[in-house]
Amino acid sequence: MFGLPDITILVFGGVTLVAFVALLYWGLTFKGHD
Amino acid sequence: MADILTAVVVALYFLLMIGIGVWASRKIKTTEDYLVAGRSLGFWVFVLLMIGAVCSGMSLLGVSGLGYRAAWPTMWEQIFVPLSIGFCVIFFGVKLHTVAKNAGYVTVQDYLAHRYESPKALRSLSAVAGILVSLIYLVGQYTAIAIVLMWLFAIPLWLALVIATLVTMIYTTIGGLYAVAWAALIQSIMLIVGIFVMAPIIIFYAGGFSQVNTFLAGINPNLVMPWMPSGAFAPAYVVSFAIMLMIGLACAPHVINNVLAVKDVKYFKWAPLVAFLIYGVAMFLLKFTGLAGLVMVKEGIFTLPTVSNASDFVILYGIQYALPIMALWAVFAVIVLAAVMSTTDRLMLTIGAMCSWDIYKKILRPDADDKKVLLLSKVIVVLSAIGTMILAINPPEALASLIWMGIGIMLSTFAVPLLAGLYWRGATKDGALASMTLGLVSAVVFGALNYFKITVLGYNFADLPVHFSFIPLIISIVVMVVVSRFTTKTHEKILDETLTGWYITKP
Repeated sequence: MFGLPDITILVFGGVTLVAFVALLYWGLTFKGHD
Repeated sequence: MADILTAVVVALYFLLMIGIGVWASRKIKTTEDYLVAGRSLGFWVFVLLMIGAVCSGMSLLGVSGLGYRAAWPTMWEQIFVPLSIGFCVIFFGVKLHTVAKNAGYVTVQDYLAHRYESPKALRSLSAVAGILVSLIYLVGQYTAIAIVLMWLFAIPLWLALVIATLVTMIYTTIGGLYAVAWAALIQSIMLIVGIFVMAPIIIFYAGGFSQVNTFLAGINPNLVMPWMPSGAFAPAYVVSFAIMLMIGLACAPHVINNVLAVKDVKYFKWAPLVAFLIYGVAMFLLKFTGLAGLVMVKEGIFTLPTVSNASDFVILYGIQYALPIMALWAVFAVIVLAAVMSTTDRLMLTIGAMCSWDIYKKILRPDADDKKVLLLSKVIVVLSAIGTMILAINPPEALASLIWMGIGIMLSTFAVPLLAGLYWRGATKDGALASMTLGLVSAVVFGALNYFKITVLGYNFADLPVHFSFIPLIISIVVMVVVSRFTTKTHEKILDETLTGWYITKP
């Protein structure tokens, strides 16, 4: 796909997805107040 | 190369920046206003200030230059640099901001001095280390500005440096963090819009996303893999590189100090994700312009100049050939200048804060009045600008290498004392002093051995399997743990005041 080997898409896509989910989880659960 | 229209566009941008400085200067009454913008930054100003601080000369010239040199195995940069903002906000920002508001911190050195009960030794060591790494980083930024002005106007390096330095220096000196933050808002918007518009044009000019990848795979299959089989960007290197970018940038003085200037901690809720998405996509597009540039060079569409840092010119030449309209080059040049200046101004202000607040006010002259400290901050901003401009007259071989060296030293020096201070109640003053000193010294030594390809006892340090900063980081961790075990503990009262413990928000 996109002229790239599958491993490249899986590795970069996987790491990006994990990072996205982690930051989304932070946003949904953080109850910050001063 | 430049015509009158180009000169007018660049001049208008410079005037806008100076105008922001003049406007901001009216809001400044105290040193706190100058250095932390009166702790008044809102969500978008903060997010874009963080993007502006992280997005530097490397982001436009060095990132695409690195893509040109090693293609996909370098794409990790596009994930972990944007993640550094989230790391900084989550692991440093939430606690630091909360404690800072009560304790009145102006710099992160205030936190270190408080947490480790070391008002002089650790404060001065961390301030000196911060000034050193900021200067290294700053030289890289001025080099990037000079590259753009030289390309656009075909003027000598010294003149390009003088112009860039003067403009950045003026608005930073008079407007402090208010000016830097509002300038970053405008600079970051210009930067993001510019990248989203111009990068696809270069990529399509080179044949499009799939075509570029297919072409690169034909040259060398490793160029489209997630890592190289050996050397730089092999798996071990990639891991150490990711740590260096994400944590090193997060604890860089010009980045971490921004969390002290936010109006409300609630802005930390979505700032990490928003910054990651905006900056991640922009950085990816930028890197891919470097890959597209490689295709264009291989196809003979253009050749890079015969200079030692030729790869840093790839995006400029890509724009020149993909967009043969001179007015658009001026717009792009302004975008590059915006990226570089948004980091440069923050660095100069950080150096000013560390000199005037940490060294002068907190160590040398505790009785100095606020006006004197404010004046000294401004003088230091001017001196740091002029000093680094002189250092940048001999540009480094590759911009990215110099800037990475700065980030690597930041990681080895600050990461362990900060993280251990915030999360481990057993971390002591002596542990922090030893960890910071050895982290800094070993980072400079390993950085030099690696950069100058020096051989010691038959081993060439250019062949390190990891990024050089990984070894000093390990040294710094070990020293912190061992020394803290055998030295006097911090008082429980201080640990409670500084929210020290294995949590981000107090349970």
